[in-house]
Amino acid sequence: MRLAALVDKMIVVLRRDLLTALRYRSGFLLTAAGTLLELAAFYYLSRAIGPGFRPDGVEYFPFLLVGTGFYTFMVLGIHSFLQVVQEAQQTGTLEVLTTTSTPAPILVLLSALSAFSASALQLLFYLGAGWLLFGVHLPAPNVVGGIVIFLLSLVIAMALGMMAAALQLATQRGSAVLWLLGSGAWLMTGTLFPVGTLPRPLGLLSQLIPLSHSLTGMRLALLQGAQFSRLAGEVAVLLLFCLVLMPFSLWLFSYAVRRARQLGTLSCY
Amino acid sequence: MRNVSEFGTRPTVDSIVFESVSKVFRHRPAFFNWIGKERSGETRALNEISLRIPAESILALLGPNGSGKTTLLKLISTMLLPDAGRVLVGGADTRDEPQRVRQLVGFAVAAERSFFPRLTARENLDFFAALDDMPRRERKTWIEFMLTRTGLLHAADTLVMKFSSGMCQRLGIARALLKQPAVILLDEPTRSLDPASAEEFWDLVRELPADGATVVIATHSFQEAAAVGDAVAVLHQGELAGHRRIDRDAAEDLRFFYAQTTGTLAERVSLLEACS
Repeated sequence: MRLAALVDKMIVVLRRDLLTALRYRSGFLLTAAGTLLELAAFYYLSRAIGPGFRPDGVEYFPFLLVGTGFYTFMVLGIHSFLQVVQEAQQTGTLEVLTTTSTPAPILVLLSALSAFSASALQLLFYLGAGWLLFGVHLPAPNVVGGIVIFLLSLVIAMALGMMAAALQLATQRGSAVLWLLGSGAWLMTGTLFPVGTLPRPLGLLSQLIPLSHSLTGMRLALLQGAQFSRLAGEVAVLLLFCLVLMPFSLWLFSYAVRRARQLGTLSCY
Repeated sequence: MRNVSEFGTRPTVDSIVFESVSKVFRHRPAFFNWIGKERSGETRALNEISLRIPAESILALLGPNGSGKTTLLKLISTMLLPDAGRVLVGGADTRDEPQRVRQLVGFAVAAERSFFPRLTARENLDFFAALDDMPRRERKTWIEFMLTRTGLLHAADTLVMKFSSGMCQRLGIARALLKQPAVILLDEPTRSLDPASAEEFWDLVRELPADGATVVIATHSFQEAAAVGDAVAVLHQGELAGHRRIDRDAAEDLRFFYAQTTGTLAERVSLLEACS
């Protein structure tokens, strides 16, 4: 596919999602209010626990801010793939979309990239509000390192999202499975507390979850200003996840679409 | 009004071929089926269909509900894949070269819900045209043209969620024609249209073969089949019950053919009585 055509498609998908979001008028305000309330809850939780608790050597509120902000970004991003398929099934557009000249995996990727853009804005708002309203102080963040971790995590989230979308096509109930996995990840990736506090088997299991490495890397880069020599381990693991998961997820999604065409379940929900 | 052939160029196909095509839908009941009793087993939607639709012609598909008309259209569009046999569109197998087939086929589905409800008609058409690789600079003119041809120009900037059934149907037709496909599939295209609009639409369809398009139209209306079709295929319980050329404006003749090919003896008698 030519790059110009791909960019054109990206623009129409972004435009569709922006117009739809704007036309659900109250959506933006409710999301912003929910984010602020969540931040306030974490702020007062960290105050209640007290300054003595310093996971990985940093204050608890910044630890929570980066952990929950990035966790939400990743999980919402993964969920957006599933949601794209689910909404297309429910609005009856999926069958028609899959008969256009654009291959189904590209279509889902474009739609999810658009959703990721919205999640990225939400993440910026979350971190910005934490900094401005609750006085989080980042001493000397390694911004470039943070961006590298962010981009690798984005590719992984897209791969996991493609798998979630395939699951939705296959079972029509992908959100239930994703909810279960999300809850497990909440426990084992170190979102709220360091994974070092988990029992050893769970701690080992957490190392097999890409999100654990994303969170660790992000905290190292943003909260501790770690240089690339310290980030190298997390970057290598994330890169390995990218190389394995992306091709597999593209194959899985294409297989799921083909199977749905064979069984006649493309529009079932 | 401008003619469809005044815009762009349309690819052509030599024919659409069904070679012993079968399609079966399996029913898989949920766990604890004794609570609600969902059916199990399978439905044979199409059984060993062999059919050739010549290029630049209009085939009308007739048949009772559940006879396999929509399944046949979906097999051409690659929405469904056959369980046995092959469907060839311009020589491309829908199973092996689905992407090539999708570039050739435009499908106006029967379902009303196939648009983004919070986008306007124009925005919806622009979205789908982009996905079908229509260059940005051509889209505006084409969309304007199609909205005019389907009588929707006045509602171009109205959200689709505020459209009536008939308007959704017109928009579906506009979307299918917009990409200038070589093969146009129309599933009950005038079901929700008023008689005058239906006749206008038939005029539009009759122009298409001269412009290089091959049209397959599924309908319950003998009048529609006679008005636009070059040939008719009658499906009954997934079988091809009859296939022949038809003369324009021969709805009564078609009714008779339909009764002959699909009905049980009692149904035939009542249908023939109704026809006479």
